[in-house]
Amino acid sequence: MLTAAFSLLPLGMLAYRSLFSGGVFATTLQYVGLQNYSNAISQGGAHALEVTGIYTAGFVVLAMGLGLGIALLLNVNLPGLSRLRAPFIIPVVVPTVATALIWGNLFAPDFGFINRTLGALGLPEADFTSSPSLALTMILTFGVWQFFGENVILYLASLKTLPVDVIEAASVDGAGPWARFRYMRWPLLRRSNVLIWVITTLTGLQTFTQIYVLTNGGPNGGTTTALYYIYNQGFVQFNTGLADAMGVILFLISLGVTIVQVALIGRGSRRD
Amino acid sequence: MTSTTSTAAGRVVTPAVGTRGPLLSAPRRRGANRRRLLAHVLVYGAVTLAVIIVAFPLIWMLLAAVKSNAQILDLRASLWPSQFHWGNIKQAWDSAPFGRWFLNTVVFAGAATIGQILTGMLAGYAFAMYDFPGKRVLFYVLLSGLMVPFATVIVPVVQILGDLHWLNTYQGLIVPNIASALGAFLFRQFFLGAPAELGEAAHMDGASELRIFFNVYAPLGRPIIAAFGIIAFLQNWNNFLFPLIVVNTTSMEVLSQGLSVFQTQFSTNYNLMMAAALIVVAPVLLVAVLAQRHIVEGITLGAVQ
Repeated sequence: MLTAAFSLLPLGMLAYRSLFSGGVFATTLQYVGLQNYSNAISQGGAHALEVTGIYTAGFVVLAMGLGLGIALLLNVNLPGLSRLRAPFIIPVVVPTVATALIWGNLFAPDFGFINRTLGALGLPEADFTSSPSLALTMILTFGVWQFFGENVILYLASLKTLPVDVIEAASVDGAGPWARFRYMRWPLLRRSNVLIWVITTLTGLQTFTQIYVLTNGGPNGGTTTALYYIYNQGFVQFNTGLADAMGVILFLISLGVTIVQVALIGRGSRRD
Repeated sequence: MTSTTSTAAGRVVTPAVGTRGPLLSAPRRRGANRRRLLAHVLVYGAVTLAVIIVAFPLIWMLLAAVKSNAQILDLRASLWPSQFHWGNIKQAWDSAPFGRWFLNTVVFAGAATIGQILTGMLAGYAFAMYDFPGKRVLFYVLLSGLMVPFATVIVPVVQILGDLHWLNTYQGLIVPNIASALGAFLFRQFFLGAPAELGEAAHMDGASELRIFFNVYAPLGRPIIAAFGIIAFLQNWNNFLFPLIVVNTTSMEVLSQGLSVFQTQFSTNYNLMMAAALIVVAPVLLVAVLAQRHIVEGITLGAVQ
């Protein structure tokens, strides 16, 4: 009930206020209809959604691919291997601001570790805050480094639930590691895949802290995602109407992702 | 070690297989073992490499925190500190009110987590044990709360807090965070599986509904409380966006926020910046190592829907 109060009331207010103009704490609101939406889209919102889309797509592919890859390796029955899962959890749980600061130093021009390495390899150095695509690359590498450990844990947990005897039987029958993965584990992981896809997508859509710390949404809005746009319009520029409109859009996208999940899992279980 | 076991197993198996035909002749078997050993070495190697890459940024922070700033900036200097400047950590601690920020974070994360456990248990218990009008609708609302990012509603939440004059206060930080859809969902699943007979027996003995909840069912939920509690605590501890928009006075800031301000003030003192990051990371790292099992459980629980 409390949960309902805290999630529904602001949501209603959000939808309602997105139709008005006025500051965060304005007492008089003026009805502007869908004006805020068209303004939000024309004033950088479309670009923010595009950045969010590119970032989230890259984030999902890398964080899920690495998560599954490492989980498959950790799942091999070898002594001591399961203990090595612990380090992958650490980036997930330590404060993002602190680790993002480390990233800033690693990617710094001149003295940063990445540029030192590039220099040592005879490659040209890069200033990662100078161009939108380089800045987004830096944000993406951080996001993946920080989050994929959670997917390792989730994939490892679902791999442990798969029937070991069946897979071993296939191995005796001469199925190689790839065949065992492609035709046995992968289809059985379907449900987990959908679930992990949703968790990873929602996490990607909500990326904020590292952008705040590393790039402030720049250069030229190159790392301004939808959520950073909401923050910037709502609490820096005080264009609350635009922030509210983008809030509604981001909410609808998140809801869409969830509905797709429910549909996919529902279809899968009917087939079983 | 594994290769010897498999060889032993192979020897036991070979005669039986041999009767079916020359599927596994001795030389082929030895070749398979060698391939297997190689595969194992590759697995260990790949995992070790991944661990090194994942841990590297944190190791870099540790080393940079005790270097001189000149060594960090010197391109020819080694990555290992030529001299350990332990004073950097004290200097960073003294240049900002880390003690106060630490206290604020403990109060915020502690109170919000206790709130989330309590409301989650009560709501989950109600969903699992009682029938009430609108239960289905409320449950769907709960599920949507699970999925909708809290971040999308930050603007209206801050408006409400502003109307209540709760900005820059502990209650402003804590109250909007004391309900967790995930908590309610997890405890509902748990209580659905709890034996109903226990409550019925207690009811016969004349125990009140609240007593049954607190004395009979709540203690059963201890493993969920530990797993959910640690995840919720870490999430609240690391929450950055919410404190950022609710609090703007130095004395009310939490650690994450304080650290981001520290960064702008000491933007060229890279060693102090890393020392400050170390101060913020160290307590969480300690908790993560000690409570590793509960964290893994909590992450997994949260995803099983």
